[in-house]
Amino acid sequence: MIKKFFIILILVVLFQALRPETARAGSLVFHGFAEEAFGLRVADDKLTKHQSYNMAEQRLQLKTQYNFDGEDLFSRWQGVFRFKGDFTVDEYFAGKTDFELRDANLSFTPAQFMDIKAGRQVLTWGTGDYLFINDVFPKDYVSFYIGRDDEYLKKPSDALKFSFYPALVNVDFIIIPYFEPNSMPDGDRLSFFDNFEGRIAGTSVDRRLLSPSFQAENFEYDGRVYRNFGSAEAAVYLSRGFDKIARSVKDQTAREMFYERQDVFGASIRGPFAGGIGNFEGAYVRSPEDPKGDNRLIENSMSKLMAGYEKDLGGDLKVGLQYYYEQRLEYGAYKAALLPGDYVQDEYRHLLTQRVTKLYKNQTVMVSLFNFYSPSDQDGYFRFSVAYDMTDAWKLTVGANMPWGESDMTEFGQMKENKNIFLRLRYSF
Amino acid sequence: MKKTLIFAVLLLLSFAGAGFAQTIADDVAHKASRMSYYQGKDGRSSVKMIVTDAKGRAREREMTILRYNIEDNGDQKYYVYFHKPNDVKGMSYIVWKHAGKDDDRWLYLPALDLVRRVAASDKRSSFAGTNFLYEDISGRGVLLDKHELASSDENYYELKNTPEDVSQVEFSYYKVWVDTKNFIPVRAEYYDKEGRLYRKIEVLAVENIQGYPTITRMKAEDLNSGASTVAEFSDSSYDLGLKEDIFTERYLRNPAAQWIKG
Repeated sequence: MIKKFFIILILVVLFQALRPETARAGSLVFHGFAEEAFGLRVADDKLTKHQSYNMAEQRLQLKTQYNFDGEDLFSRWQGVFRFKGDFTVDEYFAGKTDFELRDANLSFTPAQFMDIKAGRQVLTWGTGDYLFINDVFPKDYVSFYIGRDDEYLKKPSDALKFSFYPALVNVDFIIIPYFEPNSMPDGDRLSFFDNFEGRIAGTSVDRRLLSPSFQAENFEYDGRVYRNFGSAEAAVYLSRGFDKIARSVKDQTAREMFYERQDVFGASIRGPFAGGIGNFEGAYVRSPEDPKGDNRLIENSMSKLMAGYEKDLGGDLKVGLQYYYEQRLEYGAYKAALLPGDYVQDEYRHLLTQRVTKLYKNQTVMVSLFNFYSPSDQDGYFRFSVAYDMTDAWKLTVGANMPWGESDMTEFGQMKENKNIFLRLRYSF
Repeated sequence: MKKTLIFAVLLLLSFAGAGFAQTIADDVAHKASRMSYYQGKDGRSSVKMIVTDAKGRAREREMTILRYNIEDNGDQKYYVYFHKPNDVKGMSYIVWKHAGKDDDRWLYLPALDLVRRVAASDKRSSFAGTNFLYEDISGRGVLLDKHELASSDENYYELKNTPEDVSQVEFSYYKVWVDTKNFIPVRAEYYDKEGRLYRKIEVLAVENIQGYPTITRMKAEDLNSGASTVAEFSDSSYDLGLKEDIFTERYLRNPAAQWIKG
C-alpha cells in the first residue's frame, strides 16, 4: 500500500512538472463508474472465509487523460498521460478499503517510426479468447472466477514499452522490472487444490509463494514482431521471464512454492477463414531451471498450441470455438524422478471452448455463454452472463460461474466448490 | 411477314429502351454511391447519433470517423473512435472495406489493451445499437443490387433496387430518391419480403463543404419497432492528407491526436 502511495505521489509530481504552464489552468475531465457487485455461492462452502457469498464490494473507477498540447518537447512528441484507478470497499474482507492503480503511463512518439509507453499499463497480445499462450502478462483469475468485469482479468504491469514501425514489420519490445504474478485462488475467497494439504482447501492453506527479487537479472523482457499479409495477421513472440503462477516447489517441509524461470518462443496467425475469423497460435515454453525435466519439483518445459474460429451468423449472433493442447516435453525424465507419494501431473491436456454471444433489443441486451471443457481432465467451467444497458449510464449484469470436475486436482475440478451467481450494477459517467 | 418484321423491330427497340434505362439507373446508382461515401481522397467527421425508442427514451452515441479511399466506389478504410456513451469511451474500431469480399474489422478495447478481430459477415446488423446499419455507414456495394429507374422528374431519380442475393439481406427491395442536381440520395424506403414498407432513411440537411455537397443531418426509422435515430455530422472536412497507416494497429492502440480529440 505504501509503495502504491509513493508511485502515485511520484507520478503526480512528475505530471505537474511536465505539464506546460499554460495548460495547468485547464482542468482534467474525469470519467469512470461506480459499481456495486455481489456474488452468491451456489452451495455453502465451509472452507473459505464466508459460506454464503464470495463477492460483495463497491468500486469507484476514475480515469482521465491529458494530451500535451503546447510548445514543449512532450507536445511535439504528441505525449499523452493516462490515469486510471479503482477505489474499492471489499465487504468480503470486513469492509477493507483499497486503491488499485490500473493505468498511470505516458505515451509519446519521439520519432515517426517509434512509440514509447512508460509506466503502469495493461499489456495484451495474442489471439486466444480467454486462452493465453504468448500473452504472458499478469492476470487475475480470482476476479475471473467470482464474476468481476472482464477488464479485471488483466492486471497492469509496471513496464517500459517500445514500439517500432519500420517499413516491413512492426516490433514491440517490453521491459518489466517488477515481477507481477497472476492473482490465483489462495483459500480466503476461493478454495483450490493445495498440494501440501493434499485436498481442496480454503482458509487452512498455509504456504508461501516466493517471488523473484527486484534486481536487474530478474527483469522480464517480452518481444513481438508482427505484420499483415493482406487480411491475415502474423506474429512471432519472444519472452524471457518467470511463470506467472507459482507451480514449482522450493521447500516441501516449509511449504514454499516459487515462480520458476520461463522462456517462451511462439507464433500466431489470424485472418479470414471459411466465412469467419480463424486463428492459430503456438509456443515452446522452456523451463531453464529444469532443462532436462528431471527435477520433480520444478515445472517441465512445454509445448502449447491452439486453434480457434469465430463466425458471425447474422442477427447479432456470434459463435466461437477453440481447441487448446499442451504437452510436457520431458515427461519421461519427470516420471522417472518422481518419488512415492508424489502427485503425478499428466503429460497432455486437451481443452475445448465454446462461445455464443447474442444481442437483443437494439443491442442493449447481451447474452453470453462461454464454456470450457477438457476431455482429458474430465472437467470444465461454464460461464454465463446477461448484461442489460438500461440507459446509457446504468448497466445491470447478472451471471453465473460454474466450474466442475471429477478430480479435485485438475484446473477446473479444484474450483468446483466456488460456483456462484453474481450481480453487478454499474453507473458510468 | 410485314407484321412479324414490325414486331421484331418493336421488340428490339423495347430492349434497347430497357437497356438505356438500365444504363441510366446504374449510372445514377454509381454516382449516388460516390456522393454518399467517396467524396474527396479522404474525410473526417464528428458524428452524434440520438436513438429514440418507441417510448421516447433516448440514447446517445458520439464518435469521430476518419475515411480513406483506396479506389473510387471500391475499397476504403474507416477509423471510428467512440466518445460516448461513457462506458465505451476510448474504444476504437477499424474497418478495411472490401468491394468483393468480407470487410476486415478490428476493435480495440483500451481497458484490456486488447485488439480483437471482429467476425463480421453480416453487414445488415445495427451499427452501435442505432437504427443505422453497418451498410448505411460505410455504403452498400453498388453491384450487390439490380437497379431500375422507376420514375424521374426534374428533382429526383427514383431507383428501385433489388438484391442479387436475397439470402444476404432482410429486404426484398428498396427504393432510393436521388437528387438530380448533386446525386445525393435523399430518401430510401425498404420493403420486406411481404412487400410492406418497414424502414426509412431520410436526409434532413445537406451543406456544401469545400465544394462537396455533404449530408449533415439524417434520420433512420424502424417502422416495426417505432424506434428512430437521428445522426448529425459536424466538423466534416475533406482532403486532409490522411496517411494510410492511421488505419493500422498502431493507431488503433494509440489514436492519432491530430485527428481525434480524446
